[in-house]
Amino acid sequence: MIRSVRSAVIAAVFFAGSSLSCALAQSPAPHNDPLEPVNRGFFALNEALDTVALKPIATIWNTVLPKPVRMGVANVFGNLDDVFIGANHLLQGRGRDAMTDFSRVLINSTVGIAGLIDVASTQNLQKGEGDFGQTLGVWGAEPGFYLVLPLMGPSSARDTIGRAARVASDPRTYMVDAWSYGLIGLEFVQIKADNVDNANLIDTSSLDKYAFTRNLYLQRRAAIVQSGREAAGAR
Amino acid sequence: MLRFVVSLCLAVLCMAPARAQNAGAEDLVRRMAAEVTAQVRKNPELVNSPAQLAALVEQRLAPRFDFNRVTQMAMGRNWPRASGGEQGQVVAEFSKLLVRTYSNALASLRDLDVQVRDSRSNSGSDVTVRTQMIGRAKPVAIDYTLSSASGGWRVYDVTVEGVSLITAYRDEFNSIVGSSGVPGLIAALKQKNAK
Repeated sequence: MIRSVRSAVIAAVFFAGSSLSCALAQSPAPHNDPLEPVNRGFFALNEALDTVALKPIATIWNTVLPKPVRMGVANVFGNLDDVFIGANHLLQGRGRDAMTDFSRVLINSTVGIAGLIDVASTQNLQKGEGDFGQTLGVWGAEPGFYLVLPLMGPSSARDTIGRAARVASDPRTYMVDAWSYGLIGLEFVQIKADNVDNANLIDTSSLDKYAFTRNLYLQRRAAIVQSGREAAGAR
Repeated sequence: MLRFVVSLCLAVLCMAPARAQNAGAEDLVRRMAAEVTAQVRKNPELVNSPAQLAALVEQRLAPRFDFNRVTQMAMGRNWPRASGGEQGQVVAEFSKLLVRTYSNALASLRDLDVQVRDSRSNSGSDVTVRTQMIGRAKPVAIDYTLSSASGGWRVYDVTVEGVSLITAYRDEFNSIVGSSGVPGLIAALKQKNAK
């Protein structure tokens, strides 16, 4: 009942040509967090891990390695991710976007030396945004309840399924050796290092960091699903 | 046929002021971005001095923000429950926090450019101006929502990649007011600002 009223309000505001931010601003706090006590526990654990281990490693990474090296590492993982982004765009029925993603992989893997240089971005082939959680959302799945995963951080019921699907389809998952673990760890550190600035910004601006992070995550994911829907409709 | 012509004329009449209105809002956003970017680039060591950055935001951006409205919307249903004095205190402390948040974000303007893409009218007298920051691998979409309620355009919400600032704070404010009332919120804001 409440959900249908809320979607009616959102639809009405949307038809009036209003912005999404306006629709969100007028609806009640958009969170569904029945596991809040458990989530807060994992959030605190992640914060502690961040402070004692991950942030220092990320900071060392950022200071020790020159920018081209850091960018190279980010690009190699980004190139792998483009394969998954393209697959998800296909699943969402976004053929043209998928073409862009796969062209990026082709160009970056060859001209870009195994993905080290993102040549495609300079050729007007922009990196897309896509993951299996978004695909489920485009297909109509609601985010469900909010979840904080150990190490991985904010997620939702839907996005956790999406993440599991991503892990299951990653070849590294099936290579049980030091190399694959090393590669997964390396990607983890690289992503952390890339987000140090954002994490600092949340630190300075939030009163209740848990609630703030939860809200940022849910709003961001809703926007990603919305843009996926729009792209799928306009294909 | 006549009906078609009349409705066309009406449509054009309705659109003309709307477009003029949007142009004012777009201009303001463009001017704010240009001014601040110029300051940050002219004075690169500014980035390392939080006090100077805050002064810059205070001087150039704060007058164009409707902090009263920002606070009112962030507090949502708790706004009318606060006394006049409390409302004033929340506005004062929250604007301090926002100025600081902004100062931190400004450093990135050293190597990024702000481009105004377009704008659209919302319900009432509000306009959303869509911009993007370019200079990194992927452009960042930033939307400014402005209103011209009390003479002159003023910004009251900023949406970064689909994340609205007001909505982000509403959740937090709600949970703090829920557990420790409006005085608790004022205390939390003060404590944060003192750090």
